[in-house]
Amino acid sequence: MTPDGAMGPSGGDLPGRLKKRAGEVVDRDRSIEFTFDDETYSAHPGDTIASALVAAGIRVFSRSFKYHRPRGLLCCAGNCPNCLVQVGDEPNVRACRRPVEEGMSVAAQNAWPSLRHDLMSLIQYAAPLMPVGFYYKTFMRPKKLWPLYEHVLRQAAGLGTINTHAQELPGADKRYLHADVAVIGGGPAGVGAALAAAREGARVLLFDENTDLGGHGCYRRGGVASSAALRSTIDAVQGGSTTGEIEVLTDTSVFGWYKHNWLGAVQGRRLFKVRAKAVVLATGSFERPPVFGNNDLPGIMLGSGVSRLLHQYSVAPGRRVVVVTVNDEGWELAADLVAAGVEVVAVVDRRPQRSELAEGPMAQSGATLLFSHTIWAASGRGEVEGARFIRVGGSGADGADPSAGGPTLREPTLREPMVREAVACDLIALSTDRSPARELAYMAGAQDDQFGTGPGAGDTLPPGMYAAGRCRGTKGVEEGIGQDILYGEVAGRAAAAFARDGIDHPDNVVAVEVDRIEAEDAPCEYSPEADSTGSGKSFVCLCEDVTDEDLQTAMAEGFDHIQLLKRYSTATMGPCQGRMCAAETARICARTTGRTLREVGRTTARPPAKPVTLDALAGQKMDPVQITPLHDWHVDRGANMMVAGLWLRPEHYGDAVAEVRAVRQRVGLIDVSPLGKLKLTGPGVPDLLERIYANQWRQLGRGRVRYGVMCNDEGVVIDDGVTARVGDTEWYMSTTSSGARSVFEWIEWWLQSGWGDGVHLTDLTQTYAAFNLAGPRARQVLQKLTGRDLGNGRFPYMRVRTVRVAGVPCRVLRIGFTGELSYELHCPAGYAPHLWEALMEAGEEFDLLPFGVEAQRVLRLEKGHIIVGQDTDALSDPISADLGWAVKMAGKDDFLGRRALTRISQNGPRQRLVGFEAEGADDVPEEGLQIVGAHDRIIGWVTSSRYSSTLGRVIGLCWLPVEIASQSGGTFRIHRAGGDVVARVHHGPFYDPQGERLKL
Amino acid sequence: MLILCCPNCGARNVSEFRFGGENSPRPALPMEASEAEWAEYLYLRANTMGPQVEWWYHQAGCGLWFLAERDRALNEVVRTFIWEDGVQEKERERGGERS
Amino acid sequence: MSLKLIRQALNRHRPPPRMWRAHPLKKRYDVIIIGGGAHGLACAHYLAKDHGVTDVAVLEKSYIGSGGSGRNTAIIRANYLTPEGVRFYHQSLMLYEDLAGELDFNVMFSQRGHLTLAHTDGAVRTMRRRAEVNRLQGVDSRLVGPEELARLCPHLDLSQRPRYPILAALYHPPGGIIRHDAVVWGYAHQADTRGIHIHQQTEVTGIDAGDGGAVQGVQTTRGYVEAGTVLNATAGWGSTIAAMVDLELPLETFPLQACVTEPLKPFLDTVIVSGSLHVYVSQSDRGELVMGASIDPYASYSLNSSLDFLEGIAGHMLELFPFLGEARILRQWAGPCEMPPDFSPLMGKTPVSGFLLDVGWGTYGFKASPICGKTMAQLIATGETPDLIAPFRLSRFAELDLVGEKGAASVGQ
Repeated sequence: MTPDGAMGPSGGDLPGRLKKRAGEVVDRDRSIEFTFDDETYSAHPGDTIASALVAAGIRVFSRSFKYHRPRGLLCCAGNCPNCLVQVGDEPNVRACRRPVEEGMSVAAQNAWPSLRHDLMSLIQYAAPLMPVGFYYKTFMRPKKLWPLYEHVLRQAAGLGTINTHAQELPGADKRYLHADVAVIGGGPAGVGAALAAAREGARVLLFDENTDLGGHGCYRRGGVASSAALRSTIDAVQGGSTTGEIEVLTDTSVFGWYKHNWLGAVQGRRLFKVRAKAVVLATGSFERPPVFGNNDLPGIMLGSGVSRLLHQYSVAPGRRVVVVTVNDEGWELAADLVAAGVEVVAVVDRRPQRSELAEGPMAQSGATLLFSHTIWAASGRGEVEGARFIRVGGSGADGADPSAGGPTLREPTLREPMVREAVACDLIALSTDRSPARELAYMAGAQDDQFGTGPGAGDTLPPGMYAAGRCRGTKGVEEGIGQDILYGEVAGRAAAAFARDGIDHPDNVVAVEVDRIEAEDAPCEYSPEADSTGSGKSFVCLCEDVTDEDLQTAMAEGFDHIQLLKRYSTATMGPCQGRMCAAETARICARTTGRTLREVGRTTARPPAKPVTLDALAGQKMDPVQITPLHDWHVDRGANMMVAGLWLRPEHYGDAVAEVRAVRQRVGLIDVSPLGKLKLTGPGVPDLLERIYANQWRQLGRGRVRYGVMCNDEGVVIDDGVTARVGDTEWYMSTTSSGARSVFEWIEWWLQSGWGDGVHLTDLTQTYAAFNLAGPRARQVLQKLTGRDLGNGRFPYMRVRTVRVAGVPCRVLRIGFTGELSYELHCPAGYAPHLWEALMEAGEEFDLLPFGVEAQRVLRLEKGHIIVGQDTDALSDPISADLGWAVKMAGKDDFLGRRALTRISQNGPRQRLVGFEAEGADDVPEEGLQIVGAHDRIIGWVTSSRYSSTLGRVIGLCWLPVEIASQSGGTFRIHRAGGDVVARVHHGPFYDPQGERLKL
Repeated sequence: MLILCCPNCGARNVSEFRFGGENSPRPALPMEASEAEWAEYLYLRANTMGPQVEWWYHQAGCGLWFLAERDRALNEVVRTFIWEDGVQEKERERGGERS
Repeated sequence: MSLKLIRQALNRHRPPPRMWRAHPLKKRYDVIIIGGGAHGLACAHYLAKDHGVTDVAVLEKSYIGSGGSGRNTAIIRANYLTPEGVRFYHQSLMLYEDLAGELDFNVMFSQRGHLTLAHTDGAVRTMRRRAEVNRLQGVDSRLVGPEELARLCPHLDLSQRPRYPILAALYHPPGGIIRHDAVVWGYAHQADTRGIHIHQQTEVTGIDAGDGGAVQGVQTTRGYVEAGTVLNATAGWGSTIAAMVDLELPLETFPLQACVTEPLKPFLDTVIVSGSLHVYVSQSDRGELVMGASIDPYASYSLNSSLDFLEGIAGHMLELFPFLGEARILRQWAGPCEMPPDFSPLMGKTPVSGFLLDVGWGTYGFKASPICGKTMAQLIATGETPDLIAPFRLSRFAELDLVGEKGAASVGQ
């Protein structure tokens, strides 16, 4: 036993917890409790769920997706699926990344009845009948049973459980961040880059997904403090003794790179949206789990995972360890384990013998030291109990030069196959080939061969993107932390220069050679062809339970393109999105099809690099809602508010029929503030109006109002409204409320592309409120509020006047959507409540009622007025839509839609919008019903329909073939489920056909 | 998120703008254009997998309608310019061809 | 249990049969189909099966199904707006119902019901119109109110809390989801067994239309191939191929994005679409929620994902299902959608003799794959345009006779 870490009780009596060690992040002085599958466990503040459970001796954390095999911790870094657990209502939590909180309730997922005894694991006995893609070949017959089969399949699917009754939390604020340089990753290279960039004067953001800066420096013996260079760099970053500023965001995961260095990052529930001029990737690397027999047994971990547990949490996940390695870090790990009092049974290095390792610290430990060997298979029932190794290599030559693009894999020579006898162990630490974490670079379009010797060298990464440290190349792993910091500084300076000048500076390339030979070019040493019996299932994709054999089968069936292989086998499609398996899948594909890795390519890296919750992405609800100045008044009055685009408008105030009656017999008042209102000034306005409307405008005198229909060049109605000439060179246009914005933008386009001479356009939609005072008593009401003479002779129909009403200067238009004497008052929005209440008060003696959208719909329908967008659609022209009277082409020059309308008026329309009546008070054929002819063939449809209490019958508008529509009184059939409705064609307004009431 | 340069306001996030579609010039004499020319103006589009001239509107900004030449395969903006400048450019080109 | 599987289990040491073979590229074929997606492969299949035409090459520039076929959100439905649209998609749906049997490959068509939510009275009107048109054409569709909606999808937020409360929905029982890749693979396998050549990694770089406006052959990355009939089945890139014969199409290509969550235990049994919120969601047989929205706001062939899309869709999902906050997005991607002005495809002959189109598929192409394959095969084999696809002829634009199908994609534009 060595002094600094004896195994055994540490005050907590936990089998896996070591005595207190320098650099640990757990607080030994306090203890917190949580449950896992209803059993209570204790932990220290700082523990993750995983570290606490491992300390307690737990080995199995989950069951795999397809075969329900027991799975234990693998990576301890949130990269693999093995530790996904349910925490309260939260599914799919990575136990190795989630800090323990007092009272936390953790449960295993996707296992029944329990994690320990999962009946679904019996499915493994059916495995021979469940090869890759098996479900495409079965469950088809009999066809009737497919829904049942599917139901069963569905129940077995999914991992975590969503609580469908969970309360929605109020969203968290999102935050925008701006930086000259964003450094992603706070390990040695990252802090080096951040510091160097700041010293160049850049504003720097530094992101790290862990709680502490230091990256892989955090999980080596002694932690960050063991490297003076790292410690001082971190201090400088956090201390602020630099030129520029550095904002450090820890516990923050940058999950997406988007166009022009727009980054998405998440910290807990908060989303950050970052714009950086330059980005430095210092995201490091991670071991790839190698493929060998039974490589998914609990107790098989990545070397870095064991290191994290050991150095950060003082937890040893096993007592008899085999270290399998291809680098010196594995030897370092072995020595650390020995120093902590853990027995290392063997160190198995794939590389040829090196005396400094064979005779170094491990020589005294009693471990078996093997060179030129790697692991062949693990064994055990439900967890690791033993391991077997196989000799590899032969010639000792390094293989082909990867830059030549030739075959980069070599078969192991097994002239003397040597699978050694099993060695007993309970933990296998794999310190093997590493993959650089380059997802963000791939998202930006970077290719693997662009990660050159330095920023700006050769084919660059996308402009403004730099890489430093292990994510640039993993061969330099041995070179140590000091070198990583230097690489980071180079990248940081280059990034700062780019942020300042917008171009890459080749001089910033330091002659620091990072060997580009990727570990992934090294051969995959295990060859199942050598001996497939007895080695057990060798998993490539742990998330989806895809074995090496599955991939071989898939490729043999024709799925030999990496994308087809992925989609058919589902490898890389699970929660880890290929972090653990994409490289192996590509290598196996290359090996089997005899291609190079470059030829095989990669599955596509897509955001998010780490999964992000909908809650964080949604943030706070920010849906705008537009209300008029009278909104509160409507609500207080009991209005039923309805959604009208972005607006909320009163549908009615309790009795729409009474509102209609009020307007017809007395007077009513409606808030039409959402109407589009555009001001046009300048000598060029008449010409513009001629071009955008289908009728004539040049001769319209001052003070006059005219209705116009607006078409596009297809001759389709896009909007309608009235336009008034209020001055010699001032005009006032109204549009539909839903068209307000789009008409403004439409006219602006024409003005700015050649028709703008002498015209200025202003959008007053939100500036002016508008009310419509309608009914035979309207004049009497209005006269009470103004000294202006409103007599019919002084202020006739279709005129506009400026009138002071209740002290408020108003633009008043006498128009008639409702068919009664009416005044539309437009006033500056600030005066609206005062004006409205004055009108309400003045109208009291006449029993004035406010009326809403529903009453207005009925009133306009009684006059046969159409609503653009309801009675017309994306193909309707004005001639067919009963607006032919508003199309006056004779004598007009070019206008939008002229060509189409000329053709239609020559050929005649094929369909017409026309009025109809039907019998029966309670039998309103709903809008949307279809009109049918012989054999129930569709010949038209109902666009508007209501029961009119004014007229005592059902009225409506519909589209019909022109032969039927032109016959006034002709009948037709509206198809309806409960029984067809017979209706009669009606021409012209239903109410007051001569329009006399408008002109009172 | 793409950065687009409004000729008035400079570099802004693309979310501030409304896309106006491929530039399809209106025939100078609509009543005299052939059926093919008219259908071309209304409906046909080059839809090139490469540089394309198109309209944009600075909806959340200054209200300028302008043109951009953008490579639609790479989604990179080559340049932005206002309509008048485009017309003058064409005229200069045409003038150049004649001389 | 399938005999095939039992046989495979007993023969584990022998390689299983290939679903499609790689052939040398011949110098000449009767028919060339450009595009190895569901449309192109379906056409190949029906050419061989229905018409005995097998001297056919399918040329695919990447791997089969790499375009829209491999990127869509796999929703199948027939509840369109116009009679001609409904007729067309109904035929497709019926073919999908029998497709697993036809292809002897389980495409896993799950007819679990499709709900299009209406949040405004205008939308309710449109849903009623669609229900009526559907029913008159024999398609099962009806308008349902909040009570029935609560029964069909108990987890929807039907309260007044959302910004746009749900008023009603169009319920289409035969609609559902499918394993989209399997459709591609199934068609490819069948076509291959009948002797059709599927050439992957073979990109068409030019089309030889001779002097007289008639197709002679195509130039590819593997050499020149003669053919008298060339079908452009490359929706997403339809304009690029058409440009090779100097043909301009009424299309603009926009990205359409989608995303998927981590696998969750099943809770959503129907397909949910919201026209007002412009989102749709279904839960796959793997437990993932598959979500999509409308096309990107600007045209592009670059299929990069955006953060805006994730933010928007997350917000809308929580409007519909407020409890879904803890679900995590696992992956987002995009596919190309070429949009014609009237939301209806371009199918059939062109002014260039021998050059045929099956493009313009916007956001509604995958659900039409079987009927497209069948009708285009019929056109190629007989030379006559089937009535069913006559409304989708390219010449309708010059004739100014557009289709009124704004309901084509319930969400999309």
